[in-house]
Amino acid sequence: MNTKDNHTIIEVRDLVTHYGETQILDHVSLAVPRGTVYVIIGGSGCGKTTLLKHMCGLLKPSSGQILYQGEDIVPMEEDDLAKMQRSIGIAFQTSGLLNSMTVGDNVALPLREYGNMDEPLIQAVVRMKLGLVGLADMAHLMPDELSGGMRKRAGLARAIALDPPLVYFDEPSAGLDPIMACGLDELILDLRRMLGITFVIVTHELDSIRKIADRILMLDRGTVIFDGTMEDVERTETERVRQFFERRPDEYIVQRTI
Amino acid sequence: MNEIRLTCPPRLDKESGSELFKRLRHEKVTEGQTLVLDFSETEFLDSLGGARLIEISDHLRRWGGQMRLENEHGDVAEFLKVITPALSVTSSIQPKEVEVLEKIGGTAITVGEEIWQFIDLCIDAIYWTVLGPLEGKGFRWGMLLDEMHEMGVRAIGIVCMMNFLLGLIIAMLSAKQVENYGVQILVADAMMIGFARELAAVMTAVVVAARTGAAIAAELATMKVQEEIDALRGMGLNVAQFLVAPKLLSMVLMLPCLWVLGLITSLSGGFVWGVFVLKFNFSVWYTETLNAAHFQDLLQGFLKTIAFAIAIALIGCHNGLRVTGGSRGVGLMTTRAVVMDIFVMICIDIVFATIFYYILG
Ligand SMILES: Nc1ncnc2c1ncn2[C@@H]1O[C@H](COP(=O)(O)OP(=O)(O)O)[C@@H](O)[C@H]1O
Ligand SMILES: [Mg+2]
Repeated sequence: MNTKDNHTIIEVRDLVTHYGETQILDHVSLAVPRGTVYVIIGGSGCGKTTLLKHMCGLLKPSSGQILYQGEDIVPMEEDDLAKMQRSIGIAFQTSGLLNSMTVGDNVALPLREYGNMDEPLIQAVVRMKLGLVGLADMAHLMPDELSGGMRKRAGLARAIALDPPLVYFDEPSAGLDPIMACGLDELILDLRRMLGITFVIVTHELDSIRKIADRILMLDRGTVIFDGTMEDVERTETERVRQFFERRPDEYIVQRTI
Repeated sequence: MNEIRLTCPPRLDKESGSELFKRLRHEKVTEGQTLVLDFSETEFLDSLGGARLIEISDHLRRWGGQMRLENEHGDVAEFLKVITPALSVTSSIQPKEVEVLEKIGGTAITVGEEIWQFIDLCIDAIYWTVLGPLEGKGFRWGMLLDEMHEMGVRAIGIVCMMNFLLGLIIAMLSAKQVENYGVQILVADAMMIGFARELAAVMTAVVVAARTGAAIAAELATMKVQEEIDALRGMGLNVAQFLVAPKLLSMVLMLPCLWVLGLITSLSGGFVWGVFVLKFNFSVWYTETLNAAHFQDLLQGFLKTIAFAIAIALIGCHNGLRVTGGSRGVGLMTTRAVVMDIFVMICIDIVFATIFYYILG
């Protein structure tokens, strides 16, 4: 395979990872095409967040490669890694906003550090990004004065502050009401269309997967059990995937011999 | 015969389940044997009965046997389905036996790892506090002012009060000791020497460790738990530069200031006792105190304070960043930071005492 392949923005090859002795991911491979919304699904605790944290270089795997724009980030030194991380945006499961500063300052943080801009311009960018996520007039509030959904959106605004080509979003709609979740989906699609951002999203919301996903990867106990488009999902034979999309609970499959 | 058949009672609960288990134990289970439990008569099964079934299946597995259920029906069948996952999982409650050597080895590795992490943090922090700004790599001056206010200005009250009271107590006690010899004026000398070398620095550092050291650990631990640290690193920011360096510098600047205030208030404590209780003349006590002040003593106290400041800031950050788990982890790490602070302070004290009295003479 061509590693300088322009079509793929980030690729993971044979990723194996442990927390202490426990193996979390087992030979996970995936490739995210540029300009798509790539959705990662799977039961709670199957390692989705762990996978995302590896894909942005926050954790070091036990073995495997992670190629961002064709370059392996696993052996990178801290400086190069930091440079790479500046070009991706990450919105965390619990928003990851710094509680010690206002929402506006949170969004301004990467701009102040790397943007090489003067203060009025920074303020304008902050207002614009907050406006994109529907929080234009909330810049002066502290994160703990926002509702859960607003915090998620503020986290997204910070993630896209530097116009990254790639954004990771961990469980955007968890804990949001359907209207707000739907709004967030629209927002993701808009951002992809307007800014050409590639999204890698972890989510459980079936409706939102149907609406936004270009490609879906399913993890189960640390291994990839499905990788394909929504149409592939309709046709798949894999029991676990069908079960997920049909919202069937785990059956207590009666093992006659125990 | 490779099968044992047992018929379950009509009501399978705690007692009848226990009966069933006893009946099974009379039969000797051998490797590869299957126990067939016939549920055809069973109309009732409660959760303790179900628990007995789990015990039975554990027992069988221990002897290499298997279990099969037959003829279950109605509600009982539903219930059995629900407990099936538990039946097929080996009980993991028995604690793993850990060899003593293995344990010691494990501890040594963990301690080694922690020390290595701490050294790493120290190098990073010192780089970003001293060399980073000199190389023009940026330092958060705004944050530094906030920290100095929080660590320094807001601690003045408590530091002064504690030192004043300690000064009062020490003067009181030592005056009593020398009362019979009529050399109570020497209490002024003792106060000066003791507090300059030792007590003011230790008292101030203990108060600051309990106050600010704990706050640093708790703040960073909470940030880690709430993914704020990951978010910072994810933006390519260096945690040592962004969070640790301002705290370290602020501590190194503020603790010596607090020490000076602490020294002055503790001496005033002694002064109050000397002048108002022992009835010494104001200027006599004052001159005696000043005469006892030696540069080397003050230098020792000052250097010690700097070492304490570095220790408090870095130990707080180190423990905060090491947190795992949720809010419980935050509490544990905060406590750990304060305990380590005090322990390390004593170690630093010993080192200074050795250097100043035995090496420098
Ligand atoms: N810091 C950690 N230390 C040890 N185990 C962890 C840690 N973080 C997550 N895990 C474990 O790794 C597994 C995967 O976690 P995670 O990636 O957060 O799952 P999810 O798919 O729900 O996001 C879980 O079983 C979790 O218990
Ligand atoms: Mg997760």
